Order: sequence, then C-alpha cells, then structure tokens
Amino acid sequence: MSDRSLGKLTNIFLRVGNTTFGGGYVTMAVLGRELVDLRRWITSEDYALAFALARVTPGTNVIAFCAAAGWLVMGAGGAVAAVLASCAPSAALAVLILQGIESGSSHRWVMGALAGTVAAVSGTMWSIVAWLVRPFVKGGATKLLRGITITGGAFLASWKFNITPVPILAAAAMVSLIWRDAPARAVAANEGGAK
Amino acid sequence: MNIVVLYLLLLKASAMSFSGLGSLPIVRNDFVVERHLLTDRQVNTAVVAGRAGPGPFGLYLVCIGYYVKGTPGAVAAFLAMITPAFLVLPLMRWLGSCAELPLIRDSMRGVLLGSAGLLLAASVPLARDAISGPFTLAIVVASFLLLSFTKLESVWLMLGAALLGLGAKLFG
Repeated sequence: MSDRSLGKLTNIFLRVGNTTFGGGYVTMAVLGRELVDLRRWITSEDYALAFALARVTPGTNVIAFCAAAGWLVMGAGGAVAAVLASCAPSAALAVLILQGIESGSSHRWVMGALAGTVAAVSGTMWSIVAWLVRPFVKGGATKLLRGITITGGAFLASWKFNITPVPILAAAAMVSLIWRDAPARAVAANEGGAK
Repeated sequence: MNIVVLYLLLLKASAMSFSGLGSLPIVRNDFVVERHLLTDRQVNTAVVAGRAGPGPFGLYLVCIGYYVKGTPGAVAAFLAMITPAFLVLPLMRWLGSCAELPLIRDSMRGVLLGSAGLLLAASVPLARDAISGPFTLAIVVASFLLLSFTKLESVWLMLGAALLGLGAKLFG
C-alpha cells in the first residue's frame, strides 16, 4: 500500500490507457487487474463502485473510471493525472492517424502490428472475464449458479438482444440483491426484526 | 468558429451521452446538419481515426475538433471530452461512504458479474475480426493463458503481440 505515488499512478494509466485497444471495457478491466490484483491499491469493492458510477456518468465512461480510480488512489491530483495520462497521448495519436488517413498513406507495418495487438486484446478480454467472475463463484454451488446466471444473462442480453449496458447492469444489481448469500439474508432479517 | 463555442458544442455532445460514440448523433447534427462545418465523410473518417488507435472510442471528438480548428480545436475537443468525467468524483464521495452496507455491496457484486458478461459480449465481434488464421488464434490463446496464469503486465503482452504481428507482416 505504501508504494503508491503520483508518478507510479501516472505511469500505470499512461501505459494501460495508451496501449490497450478494444474500447473502454478492456481498459477498465486491465486497470482493475493492475490496481486491484497486482498492486492492491484499491479493493475490488471500490473497483466495482468506480466501474458502476463511471457507467452512469455522462461522457466517455472509461475516462470517468480513470478519474474515479485515480481519486481513490491519490485524491484529486490522482484523478487529474489519471485522466490526462490515460488519454492525452492516444488523443494525439488519433490526430496523427487522421492526418495519415487524409494524406492517403498506407502503413502496412502498422497494420501488421495492429493485427497482432487486436488478437492479444481478445485473449486479454477473456482472461479478465475470468478474473472478474472468479471471486464471486467460489464457495459453493449456489454462488457458482448465481455467478453464471448473472454473467451469462448479461452476456446474452447484450450480445443476442442488443440491450444497452445501463439497464443490463441495473438488472444484474437487482438480481444480486434478491439472490443474496444465506448469512447476509439472515443478518438482514435480524436487523429488520430488531427495528 | 470561435474556440469557446467549439468547446461548448463538443462539451454538450459529450455531456449528453453515456458512451464514447453516444455523442455521434449530436455532433453530426451540430457540425454537419446545422452549421455545415463538416461533411459526413469527415465525421466517418474522424470515427475511424479515433477507433484505429488505443484509448476510448470517444477520441473521435478530438479528430472532430482538429477538422474544425486544427490543433487548438483538437485541444478544445480533448478538454470537452474529459470535462464530464470529473462529475464522477462527487458521486464517489457520496456513495463511497456507504460502500460497506450490505445493500450496496450486494448491488456491486451484481454490477461486477454483469460487467463480466458485457465484456464477454464485447469480445465476440472483436475476436471475429482478430482471428484471421492459426497465427492470430495462437496469439489469442497465448494471451489468455499468460494473463490468467502469470503476473505478466498487459503492456508487455501488447508489445509482444505487436512485434509478432509486425514480424508476420514482414516475413510472412
């Protein structure tokens, strides 16, 4: 926990934000692996909170996620550093690509490198799905079934029925609230009785 | 166009959407239909340029700004793109204080599991594009295994995959 610094935080967001292809989900998931799993700078609960709130914040979700994650690690300075580091270089690159397209130049080597990177992104996404799901499906058949139901349901709703992310995440939260762990239900019942 | 007006128009588009490309209809309406500053072809090219590199899909806004006002326009568009993101901070402050409540914790578990499903769905078209033969399939499988069973940082994986792709193009 003590090894965190603004420089290290900036370095992580700079590397992940500007080398990860495939859009916001991939970047948020890779950042989760870096900040929660590898460095333990934020808890998985904080990660989930940042992820959820980034989804409902106007604008580009992954930038909101970077602001939230940076803030969790290093406060307001961390939020600004994370946002700038995660997307300023790739914004400059987008303009360069635009200029390249406009000038009609074709970059055969760049396309080759891009093909390799896009393939790696697919493998990355699947490993991150496994990483996200793993803590919630351990500890019995009921947890496994709940995990498969919510994850599988979200997958089908998005892939098969093209439902937008916000209602899917809202439904996932509702199912998870209703389908609680047995001890949590008992505690809640006791709390209700006490009142 | 005045740079402040450009910033405000792009800020409006950014703040009224909830995903990277969600602002596209507003941008098209403001810059193509209403003000005739851009053509549909330019908007499409901006989207392609924004998606061709790393980073969020919303980067196309920077290309829109560049088309309209050159480098200062790109900077104004970048600022318009990142401004709404900071709205998440008051939300974090308020909700973070009740993150330990069972109600919030259970909801967050659902959100994480749901987001895993969304990520899986997003990976399907990407994998279809990415797997063009045995070589790219091998990169996909190796990436999955390396990230799942080692502590390798993703940036090295991406760099290695880029070098392999480059090598395949040069020597393949």
